Amino acid sequence: MTDARTHTWLRPLVAVFVGAVFFLPLYLMLVNVFKPGEEILPDPAGLPLPPTLENISGVFAREDNLFTFGLVNSIAVTALSITILTVLSAMLGHYLARSTRVFAKVLLVTLLCGLMIPIPVILSPMTSVLKAFDLMATLQGLVLVNVGYYVPFGVLLFMGFVKSVPRELEEAAELDGASKVRVFWQVVFPLLRPASASVLIFLGVWIWNDFLTPLIVLGPDSGTTVTVGVYRAIGQYESDFGDLFAFMFLATLPILIFYLALQKNFVKGLTGGAVKG
Amino acid sequence: MADTKHVVRGERRLATRPRPQPSRARRPARLAPKLGRFALFALPGLVAYGLFVLLPILMTGYYSLTNRNPFNPPTEFVGFRNYVTLTGDPEFLQALTNTVIITLIVTVLANVGGLLVAMLLDRPSKLYLALRGVFFTPVVLSSVVISVIWRAVLTDDGLLNSALRGLGVTDPPGWLSDPELALYSIAWIITWQMLGFCVVVYLAGLQGVPRELQEAAAIDGAGGLARFRNVTWPMLAPALTINTVMLLITGFKAYDQIQVITNGGPGTGTTATMAFQVVKEAFVGNRIGYSSALAAVMLALVAGVSVVVLRVLQRREVTQ
Repeated sequence: MTDARTHTWLRPLVAVFVGAVFFLPLYLMLVNVFKPGEEILPDPAGLPLPPTLENISGVFAREDNLFTFGLVNSIAVTALSITILTVLSAMLGHYLARSTRVFAKVLLVTLLCGLMIPIPVILSPMTSVLKAFDLMATLQGLVLVNVGYYVPFGVLLFMGFVKSVPRELEEAAELDGASKVRVFWQVVFPLLRPASASVLIFLGVWIWNDFLTPLIVLGPDSGTTVTVGVYRAIGQYESDFGDLFAFMFLATLPILIFYLALQKNFVKGLTGGAVKG
Repeated sequence: MADTKHVVRGERRLATRPRPQPSRARRPARLAPKLGRFALFALPGLVAYGLFVLLPILMTGYYSLTNRNPFNPPTEFVGFRNYVTLTGDPEFLQALTNTVIITLIVTVLANVGGLLVAMLLDRPSKLYLALRGVFFTPVVLSSVVISVIWRAVLTDDGLLNSALRGLGVTDPPGWLSDPELALYSIAWIITWQMLGFCVVVYLAGLQGVPRELQEAAAIDGAGGLARFRNVTWPMLAPALTINTVMLLITGFKAYDQIQVITNGGPGTGTTATMAFQVVKEAFVGNRIGYSSALAAVMLALVAGVSVVVLRVLQRREVTQ
């Protein structure tokens, strides 16, 4: 087609330009992580030459350990939450996808309504429930809240996928004498690997990045997650962008690595599932 | 390769766990097979959802009919008084207006921008794949991180105004300090954050448009614009539905950016959203009853609008 050929040089040029403008704020953060604080405002966009690790080491050297404590909490909360969520929503999604009764349909609709509910709407009574179980300001409490709030999303993803697993596979295994539990873990769950990868990626990123829930549930005294740590650090650094950017850079790095690593697995899982199926 | 092997081994370990106690799995199967299966597979997830989402929703509904305030007992039943108060509360009305403005801007801008960028990147080459990653990056970042970056860019003596002054602009705008501008800056930041999501969804939609259809239309003499309107756009209907509903919900619950960047200001409540107001009333003012009424209104609005929009857009998908 003619118009595709006449502008062959225009498209990449425009695309790179738009991409560069879009990326500018992230570029500004990245270069200034490695620039001495006093050089940032006079020359925000310049490359950090020579680069300094002063800002990064400053984050680790903080006297209140805001970053290191936050990092440990974030890893614990995110890892626990997404593991429990994957297991529970795979089982629940499987149950709802295979059940034909009206009761199961009602449960499903009730669950899917949860996808629309913004956290602020339920936050205050949520803390009352946590207090009743003596779980307010604990990591376990935060994990439980995450599990309850994100289970509908996990179920939605798993349900769509369970339907692609032939029911005959399960029936065959049952005829061979395997229990329901064993059929699920040894036959169904391995076939759901792509769905598990999606649930882990999405929920891992969301839970790591959550702000309001950990801010309120963990409260001011019992430590924070790294994301809330970024918020706490703002007031202290005020206009010292170098330290603040380094804090954010380090707070983002683990989840970015997790995302990139699992994304590869996600593609592999898809093809692996196809061969097995 | 090493990764996958590891995953496989992990699964096998999980899988073998039930084997040592087959009796436990068989016993409920004999007594009441359906109930046992329900308790084992469905109940754990449902209990968590019930305790931390359903029960709190009911509690919000109940609290909204009381004057509950932990620092000012006793709690009394006040009927619909909180809802009546809301209709005359200027802070609530402003938060409602701000939320609608943010939601409209984000929904329109991110949809249009996302579609344009997706069409720009809809070519099979490494360059466009890399650029897709560039646009998607903010989706993976925390809105707290994004807020802090944009605050550093847009604040009065921030990176943007320093650059503008360097270019000779003597009095650059107060992007976040001017009460007229701040709300639009917030909407812009959320748009920037959500754009990559729309790009990816539209790209998936574009890749589902059969090339033969485009070529057939071109042979019939359809120009670029006519081809887009009559061939491409109708086939993007599902992508439009996903993006619009996602953006509506995101805009409606906007909280993080306001808390981190403006704290509702400049001035009183110029950037306060409904979510911000709900949290402020509950955790700063301790007016749980009043905050719950606000929350109930917010939930009714977000649910009502998303259901209506979803219906309308899905009907459009079918007819086209």
